[in-house]
Amino acid sequence: MNFKKTAICAALALFLFYLLLIFSLLTFLEGRGFLEVFFAPDTLFSIRLSLLAATITTILAMVIGLPAAYALSRTSFPGKKLVDTFLELPMIMSPVALGAALLLFFNTPIGASIQEKGILFVFEFPGIVLAQFATVAGLATRLMKTALDEISPRFEDVARSLGSSAWEAFWKITFPLAFRGLLSALILCWAKAIGEFGATVTLAGTMSFKTETMPIAIFMALASADIRKTIILILILAGIGLSALYAVRLVEKRA
Amino acid sequence: MIEVQNLNLALGNFQMANLNLLLEEGVYHVLLGPTGSGKTLILESIIGLRNFQGGKVLIGGKEIQDLPPERRGISYLPQDLALFPHLTVRENLLYGLRAQKGSAWEKEKHLDGLIEVLKIGHLLDRFPQGLSGGEKQRVALGRALAPSPRLLLLDEPLAALDPALKTEIQQLLITLHHSLKFTALHVTHDLEEAYLLGEWISVLIQGRVEQSGKREEVFLRPHTVKVAQFLGLRNLFPERVLQVAEGGKLLTVSFWGREITLSTDHAARNFSPGEEVFLYLRPEEVMIIREGKPIKESLRQNIFPGEVVRLLDRGTHRWLFFQPRDRDLHLEIHLPNYIFRNLSLREGQKIHVAMRRESFWVLPA
Repeated sequence: MNFKKTAICAALALFLFYLLLIFSLLTFLEGRGFLEVFFAPDTLFSIRLSLLAATITTILAMVIGLPAAYALSRTSFPGKKLVDTFLELPMIMSPVALGAALLLFFNTPIGASIQEKGILFVFEFPGIVLAQFATVAGLATRLMKTALDEISPRFEDVARSLGSSAWEAFWKITFPLAFRGLLSALILCWAKAIGEFGATVTLAGTMSFKTETMPIAIFMALASADIRKTIILILILAGIGLSALYAVRLVEKRA
Repeated sequence: MIEVQNLNLALGNFQMANLNLLLEEGVYHVLLGPTGSGKTLILESIIGLRNFQGGKVLIGGKEIQDLPPERRGISYLPQDLALFPHLTVRENLLYGLRAQKGSAWEKEKHLDGLIEVLKIGHLLDRFPQGLSGGEKQRVALGRALAPSPRLLLLDEPLAALDPALKTEIQQLLITLHHSLKFTALHVTHDLEEAYLLGEWISVLIQGRVEQSGKREEVFLRPHTVKVAQFLGLRNLFPERVLQVAEGGKLLTVSFWGREITLSTDHAARNFSPGEEVFLYLRPEEVMIIREGKPIKESLRQNIFPGEVVRLLDRGTHRWLFFQPRDRDLHLEIHLPNYIFRNLSLREGQKIHVAMRRESFWVLPA
């Protein structure tokens, strides 16, 4: 077999592996009860909670990550390599460890004073957002930096020579040109936030109708041996995630 | 008038110290230099895209080095043109006019005139991706000139063009400059381009302006060996000043074992007796003496016997390499094809060559 065919076979094997994994879940379903589980109040709450938390997380990641990505892409400053390295921390650190670090932070004097001032994170909704943010912010910044790297800084230079301020040059020229790349980055981060489990469960806990996101609901259903609910929740989560990834492909295709 | 005064800039191993540049209003100024000489750094410093360690940039006597790029009134045309791909040609052209004062009607009228000169009226609703190379150049020039900048900076805009398009855009630049009289600083390493476009040329080598002057002066009368070598001048012969006479107006210089007396109009600066110099001889001004033909009295002293060692066909010209008798050196001579044919020269042929005094140029060693 030639090199090209071998490579294609490897790609197809990976695809079949994941497809098999999804289809194997269907063998446990009896074809009824899907809607019953889907429309159950706790499932709908989990879906709503997950969508809301992931959306807020993504907005926060964009608000902070976009200027950070711009700085890393376009400027040089002392400690840039160190900052760049730290962005990859969530990728090499287990989410549970990240969640534990956050939990421990709120037991330090600074963390405790934040909690005492009424902004509650531990076992609360803001804790879900914070845990997801800690997991995806680095990735979001890295992906947005890649999107900005693809746009030549010459465009901004020329725009500035034509009377635009640095802000104006960014919003009128670089942002529209990088828009698809930035949108892809944010969709990917949103999908990752939706599926985040380790850090969330450690910081926000597993409280039903309070901090039970989709991944936590799956964990809880499995722990209580409710296989049908587990599978349906997995399929819903996989459906949301795959739809987001497909949206990324569509956005990239048009770029 | 635009001035760069005592510019000091360091970037990695590259250093530029106390660089001065003077751009006259309405003059097409070419900054000519080899790759890595710091041309682009100067451009970026003038426009405000690069911080420098010391120095001033003045427009009309006012210091602008602390102003942000958008408030300097300087347009910039990079090599890749950087046309905004998400905007139509019209939007690209209008980009620099939006921040300008004046009514919409005045702006439109001004732009219409420019569109007419550039012949891009049929492209206004198209996007840059669909334009040909020449059309893109025209639009980029229009966009840069639309806000009527006090200075237009061009960073090797013709470097990546094929020869036909390059000639077209060079002609366009000349036409535009004649009609709009804008002040330009055009950076290039291309000698032909510099000669064609530059009314004034500054030669930049290793972060230093080696010579600045009218194009004929720079190309025909280089002030330093570095400039001469960069300009590709090969007939440079190391000699010595033997005598300075008539209050410094006449120089007697050794040349291939003889003495030649030249006016100081043909020297880069004043020289002292005994000083080592280079004599430059323009290849197109060396004459080949035909046997049996009468020779002018003024030429008799400067006739040298030797041999044709090599002939090169350069298309419109022939290059002849002449080795003087008893000397291990070559003199390059450029002959138009019709003269070459009349002389029926061949390699190995014994000939005599003559030089007029006016064809020599003395520069410091």
